[in-house]
Amino acid sequence: MPITITAPKPVRQLYEDQDDVMSDSDSDSQSSKDGGNNNKYKNMINMIKAESGAAATTTTRSSTKPTSHGEIVTPGEVITDDPQWMRGHGTFVAPATSAIISSVAGTISRTNKLLSVRPLRARYTPEVGDLIVGRIVEVQAKRWRVDVGATQLASLPLSAINLPGGILRKRTETDELQIRTFFAEGDLLVAEVQQLFADGGAVLHTRSLKYGKLRNGVFVAVSGMGGGGGVVRSRRQVWTMEAANGGGQIDVALGVNGFVWISKHVETPPDLLEKTAGITNIEESVSATMYSSQNDRIEAETMREIARIRGVVTALVENGLRVDEDMVMRGYHEAVEMAILSSAGPDDIYLGGERGQQLAAALTAI
Amino acid sequence: MPREAEPSLNEKQFLLQAIQENLRLDGREPDQYRPLGLTFGDEHGVADVTLGKTRVLARASAEVTVPYADRPLDGVFTIATELSPMASPAFEVNRPTETEVLLSRLLEKTVRRSGALDTESLCLVAGQKCWSVRVDVHVLSHDGNLIDASCFAVVAALRHFRKPDTSIEGGVLTVYTPAEREPVPLGWLHSPFCVTWSYFGDEGETALLDATRAEEQVRVGSCTISLNRHGEICQIAKLGGTPVDALMLLQCTSIALAKVKEISSLLDRKLDEDTKQRNKGGRAAELTAENDR
Amino acid sequence: MPLDTSAYGLALLRVDGRRWNELRRMHAQIRTQAAADGSSYLEMGHTKVMCVVTGPSEPGPRRGGLGGTASGGGASSAQSKDAEVAVSIVVAGFSSVDRKRPGRGDKRILELQSTISSALAASLHTHLFPHSTISISLHVLSQDGSLLAALINAATLACVDAGIPMTDYVVACTAGSTSTYAANDEAADPLLDLNHQEEQELPGLTVATLGQTDRVAVLVCESRVQVSRLEGMLAVGVDGCKQVREILDRVVRDKGHRMLLEGTVERGAGLDDMEVD
Repeated sequence: MPITITAPKPVRQLYEDQDDVMSDSDSDSQSSKDGGNNNKYKNMINMIKAESGAAATTTTRSSTKPTSHGEIVTPGEVITDDPQWMRGHGTFVAPATSAIISSVAGTISRTNKLLSVRPLRARYTPEVGDLIVGRIVEVQAKRWRVDVGATQLASLPLSAINLPGGILRKRTETDELQIRTFFAEGDLLVAEVQQLFADGGAVLHTRSLKYGKLRNGVFVAVSGMGGGGGVVRSRRQVWTMEAANGGGQIDVALGVNGFVWISKHVETPPDLLEKTAGITNIEESVSATMYSSQNDRIEAETMREIARIRGVVTALVENGLRVDEDMVMRGYHEAVEMAILSSAGPDDIYLGGERGQQLAAALTAI
Repeated sequence: MPREAEPSLNEKQFLLQAIQENLRLDGREPDQYRPLGLTFGDEHGVADVTLGKTRVLARASAEVTVPYADRPLDGVFTIATELSPMASPAFEVNRPTETEVLLSRLLEKTVRRSGALDTESLCLVAGQKCWSVRVDVHVLSHDGNLIDASCFAVVAALRHFRKPDTSIEGGVLTVYTPAEREPVPLGWLHSPFCVTWSYFGDEGETALLDATRAEEQVRVGSCTISLNRHGEICQIAKLGGTPVDALMLLQCTSIALAKVKEISSLLDRKLDEDTKQRNKGGRAAELTAENDR
Repeated sequence: MPLDTSAYGLALLRVDGRRWNELRRMHAQIRTQAAADGSSYLEMGHTKVMCVVTGPSEPGPRRGGLGGTASGGGASSAQSKDAEVAVSIVVAGFSSVDRKRPGRGDKRILELQSTISSALAASLHTHLFPHSTISISLHVLSQDGSLLAALINAATLACVDAGIPMTDYVVACTAGSTSTYAANDEAADPLLDLNHQEEQELPGLTVATLGQTDRVAVLVCESRVQVSRLEGMLAVGVDGCKQVREILDRVVRDKGHRMLLEGTVERGAGLDDMEVD
């Protein structure tokens, strides 16, 4: 990973607004605690205060002005002393008091009497029903372990996938033996969070035609739900869009965990639809290709448009914008127009740096 | 890798609750050491220290070597620690655990960096010949507080040690055998000792001295203070753990100073006894030899 | 190079022109690496360190033949109810005046790693992340004294950036005393935030406290000093930590404020709205 250090900021005057908070509260608490033999220590503290002037003012505990900094709270800051509130995520109660203290840097959110702090940035925390994109990291006897960008690996039991050859087939020992033919290490999949363990670990399932192994496309990891921009929970996480410049149809799956999959849309062959009437049969025939690890043929135009969408997603994240269907679609159309205006024509898919900022500016202006 | 068995939740709670109520399993006061025993070996420079069931053996030795190029006027002084599976199954040979690294760093800082041994007196010919003094610390039995016991053993071994006498005549270095000339003690400047506090409770409000192994397993933090009897701090190491009030640390330091004075006089007494005993034996041997003739 | 301490008695100014209770210029940034979960860059005078935090995350299966070493960390984190805090420190060869490459088993580095890990583990809410690992990787780019303090501050900032819940910032700084241990004069002044030259010549200690409290998480003294001086040095150190906390807190707030303005994060509910209910 290349090391990048952004240019240092100019020296700022610290304590600019704190000259007036030269408070005695600290020395007071000190003297109450001090025994006789520690007088020198107390004197030392007082000496520091007397001599150092503004440079060494000890400020009062930040509880006095909890929301003075534009509603950002930081770890160790007292949110409220009022015992009527209940503590939620991102907070803790100091032992032997009723004060609710923030444990992360973020903004306060509140649901009735429940106070929680949304962190500025954190790892994805799974919730039941989330659509996620994940990567298999380990194959065990009867389940897979999936990296979903959370604090713990999610697990996908063998019983929670669609087995080839019919939806309601019973899991057999043969399936267990050839577990790697469904998903092997490194495979990507789209799934839904089915349940949560008490310790926060997620259990996934792919028992729907929408879910399953991913192929024919490209993977992008951005930040997800948990804090700090990136993909947000929205009405639709997966959609098929019509690409410009003859790119055909493209599927986009925005995993709530911040993992994004952009791929060529594969139609169920129409002749198959004609032949089979029942939904079970479609499933049966589709499942033949369900666990294939072979990509279909993808035209150069489609690949170019997939790359363009990928550029839009990363540009959105880099410029601190949320990633959802609306933003991606608008961003894509904007990017297509920008490409037409540029000298290289539609082949210009670069959306980093200034062009990304231009794109973001165009989106926020509307 | 073999791992030390963790105490069960019930064991932990039992111990902690007892400590909260000012009770220790072996009935000691919070600031009371277990019986500290010291025996010297037949040879000079071997010290066997027992602290309750903890037992540490330190052996000092010396040989003539070439000094380091960047320090031509100083002798070489090394402390080697070894925690073998003999002390606890969690220790393995040739793979230092964190305990071992921290122990050897603490001994290094306490004894070597504080200048307890006068390394300049180990120099024989500047840039060419010097004594290399080495102390090997072997932990024979581990029942907590290895640091204090090891430090005591190292200091005792070094002060008991006698290196062969030497002389330089016309650029020729002669090392005398003990039969030719009585070996001489090392140039010793001050005797530092470690005192380790263990902290318990959510805010580290209870402090105990000389924790046993069981107590070490449930403690939330520790602080090792090295002092000599002149009231000089040689080193303090509170390496993380639950934060402890600053005033408490100051109190711990002053109690530690009192303990160090006790330990220091114990060592002086033991060394005196040992010298007397050896003298007696030496004279008796001489007398018998003369009588035989 | 011996430090000329005689000038201090006359002008009460230290070698770099500071007074006894002044910190060096402290500059910090968070979120310097886009790819990491949390990252920070911190300067305390000419001591410059950067920190990258990955996790909390569960380590996948370890591959390769080195079963022995791999299982060491893996086994302990898989069994424990708390997250493991793994710290690694890389000291760049160009970071100090004499360019030397410390060996991998350098005990001083191992001690620093273990200290930082244990100090942060006491503040981070590791019980929220069973069998996962928080790996903190620290890089020392330039050394000019107070290295341990800078490393602790950078690690704390990066953990805040990673959104790992903690009781409070763990902040550190150094303190020293104006005369050497041999001179037993009572008039010795305590000094705040030692640079490399002062660290070499004068007795000093590193203090880390939990946020604004007087509770000391780390106290490391590696030089000989009269026991009576400890009190003064500790008092100055603890007070310095409070100043450092303000500086770090300001860095985090500034960053959060900018994110609010950019609209990356939603504005929170104000306390005033709450009181209305």
